[in-house]
Amino acid sequence: MLARIITGLAAGAAYALVAVGVVLIYKCTRALSIAQGEIGAFGFFIGLRWAARGIPTLGWHPARFVTLLIAVIVGALLGGLIERVVMRPLVGRPPLDALVATLGVALFLALLEKELFGTATQFAPSPVGEWKLVVAGATLTAPRVLALALAAAVALATYVFFSRTRFGLAVRATTGDPTVARLMGIPVNRVYRFAWVAAGALAGLAAALLGPAFGGLTPFAMTKFSLRALAGAVIGGLDSIWGAIVGSLLVGVLEAVVGGQFRTAGASELAVLVLVIATLVARPQGIFGAEGAS
Amino acid sequence: MIAVVLAVGGSLLLGNVKLSILVGVAVTAIAALGLDVLVARTGELSLAHAAFLGVGAFTAINVGSRGWAWPLVILTAMAVTAAAATIVGLPSLRIRGLQVAIATLAFQEFAEVYLFSRSDATAAGRTLPRPGFLQTDVHLYLFALAALAVVLVARRRLAVTKAGRAFLAVRDIEIRAGCFGVEPGPTKLLAYAISGAIVGLAGALLALKSGSISAKDPFLLLESLELVAIVVVGGAGSAAGIVTAAVLVKGLPQFSSTIPFTHLSADRIVPIASAGLLVLVIVAAPRGIGGVYQTVGRLLDRWLSPRGRERPDARPRAADARAAAQHAAALRSVPRRLSLRMPVPALLEARDVSVEFGGVAALDDVSLEVRRGEIVGLIGANGAGKSTFFNAVSGLVRFDGSIRYRGVELRGLPPSERSALGVARTFQDLGLVRAETVGENVLLAQTWLARYDAATGILGLGSALSTERELRRRAGLALELFGLDHLRDERLGDLPYGTMRIVEIAAAVAAGPDLLMLDEATAGLGPEESHALGDRFLAVRDELGLTLVVVEHHVPLIARVCDYAYCLESGALIAEGNPETVTAQPQVVESFLGRAHASTGGNAR
Repeated sequence: MLARIITGLAAGAAYALVAVGVVLIYKCTRALSIAQGEIGAFGFFIGLRWAARGIPTLGWHPARFVTLLIAVIVGALLGGLIERVVMRPLVGRPPLDALVATLGVALFLALLEKELFGTATQFAPSPVGEWKLVVAGATLTAPRVLALALAAAVALATYVFFSRTRFGLAVRATTGDPTVARLMGIPVNRVYRFAWVAAGALAGLAAALLGPAFGGLTPFAMTKFSLRALAGAVIGGLDSIWGAIVGSLLVGVLEAVVGGQFRTAGASELAVLVLVIATLVARPQGIFGAEGAS
Repeated sequence: MIAVVLAVGGSLLLGNVKLSILVGVAVTAIAALGLDVLVARTGELSLAHAAFLGVGAFTAINVGSRGWAWPLVILTAMAVTAAAATIVGLPSLRIRGLQVAIATLAFQEFAEVYLFSRSDATAAGRTLPRPGFLQTDVHLYLFALAALAVVLVARRRLAVTKAGRAFLAVRDIEIRAGCFGVEPGPTKLLAYAISGAIVGLAGALLALKSGSISAKDPFLLLESLELVAIVVVGGAGSAAGIVTAAVLVKGLPQFSSTIPFTHLSADRIVPIASAGLLVLVIVAAPRGIGGVYQTVGRLLDRWLSPRGRERPDARPRAADARAAAQHAAALRSVPRRLSLRMPVPALLEARDVSVEFGGVAALDDVSLEVRRGEIVGLIGANGAGKSTFFNAVSGLVRFDGSIRYRGVELRGLPPSERSALGVARTFQDLGLVRAETVGENVLLAQTWLARYDAATGILGLGSALSTERELRRRAGLALELFGLDHLRDERLGDLPYGTMRIVEIAAAVAAGPDLLMLDEATAGLGPEESHALGDRFLAVRDELGLTLVVVEHHVPLIARVCDYAYCLESGALIAEGNPETVTAQPQVVESFLGRAHASTGGNAR
């Protein structure tokens, strides 16, 4: 049981990386993005392609660890591009429009990946070595250990960012009321861009870690993984970074425990579905969400 | 019309296209139309409609392979899918939009991984035999077209019946819709159920086409997203646009292997292009293909009748208020329990009513009385608690104390039941659906009078048709009463604000209330229009026998029409009596009219 919980925590930590990005975007722009998985996956696929065939024109074959950096950078660039081209014009429109737009982006990226990289599962060696850690009977591979460590680091970093930096304060002001924030001289557009770039980078990081951990990725697989991140974010509260992390860990643990207990396919998905619906019915704003945040 | 186009297109392409492919297109179109009921009418988004399609298809195979008759197979598929959609829609009772979409996403995944991999749920290895009259693909195609036509007609019917109007009201003015007799919770679930039933029909068609289904490809998340893409690209709310989008996205790759006039492979490019188009449409042209159709239609219209439609004068027509009210006397005849028809001296009695918002008392032990046949003025500065009192009476805030209407305690009654008792109101900032026409809004306000259920409404059975006729007649009377009949087909949001406010009063009167509460009815009106409105207040009181409570800032109007006035300050009653004495009292002058007026007298505005 303890072993399962630890495995679940490690999986949840990787979801949390995506979920923090989702919450960051929601906090800053009031848009819910379901494109995060595919943004990350795109960076992951490009990293693999370049590792195998060399970076175009440079011809340099990056090392394993560098593929992780490529995923992060491509994710960040993609996030920034989507914010500028797709999301910025949607500011002030109903929130469902933004959701549908990110859905279109996810669909577009997934199909583009299919065209560019094929439908076969892309296997990847771990970018952080092949060592394992055994804790209380649970075997954790290197990417999972790193996911746990990074989730903790990201949690700490966002806490410091929001409470200790000027820009963090600007983000909080923008969350409260974009119009007033703009009038107070806060660069609201830069806040929006920051959210998408940071979330894109986190998504790339998550994909680079999850890809090897799940034994490879196919186009669209990352969207399915990121569904758990979304579930985690909704359960924890869409406007709370802590909520996103706790919710994702909860989803990871629930999955591992239920999946281990009941061998039927889909038992863990059913458990997540029930948890999401129960949370929304009992406490619509999520565990850590602010009252009326919806 | 669309069905005809599809039929013609189908027969044209008959040479090189298998008809079963067109059946597939019709299935997608029906599923997308089902999704659109949710998206366009209630503003909710489902990312699980491909899973619902699967629920319908597998249910059909499951029961059909047991030898059930085909109509029963289709109905069962529709009912089971409707039930599944309703369950998934449960979170919408508590929260809207985004988070609910995530719940549907979770259902999609659950269905993919669990439901559709169970051999008992998917009826693996069993087949649904096609009924005798559907043996050939031509017959199946015609049957699919008939199903599409049925769905299109049902959507039309939905738009002109109680349920369709209630969906829009819940989308735009959720809580306030209660004052018209709309119950927000059941209305939302009904939308999920109707949407699910339509998708269930699509699933049953798919099952009839294939007989047995082993691959779960048509029911995966990718397909759910594609359905959303079809609805958005087609234009939410536009049936013609959505069917076109379905043909383009699902049909094109099948009709020809390359994109016309190019050498690009259709089945590879079309999905990516449709995803790209989805993003483009949502950013640049939110009304999609349907919007294009509308523009073309309008241009054609103008071209065919150049002098045709001029915009009507957007102001209410002047009329003899008293004669108009006599003419509208029939508005008073609404079915009401006997006890609610008995004459009583005091229509509304508030005793020690208190409302608190987070420690701040918005109303503090307010007691007041409204007698039958009176026009009672409620005055006070901004924040005095006037609107809060209205909200307490109509059930939009919780209060302590007691408010009795004709002796019936209102505390704890949902807003929708108070409309049936005979309480109607307007809002300071408009409680109507701006995206709809004037006429539709007046029909919406009469929701409590429409006693038929959604199914008989859509089928046009029983009392539904006659009730709708009666509601339309009443709407006509109410609009005439306020000189608005020439604006019936105008979109409410296109009218000047002052006119919108009068439409709201007309809508409230159309509901046949005994007690009418008007929140700053003259805000946004000029002096002449205010005066005319005052005449109408007197006329509806005298000729229709209504009792009015008016929140007003316009002191001359209060003096002219009110029989009695109450003045509130910071949630407490500071004066009452006949309007002249109340507005002359020093504490009222100080609190409401302001110090300057104490010396000069004069107008409050």
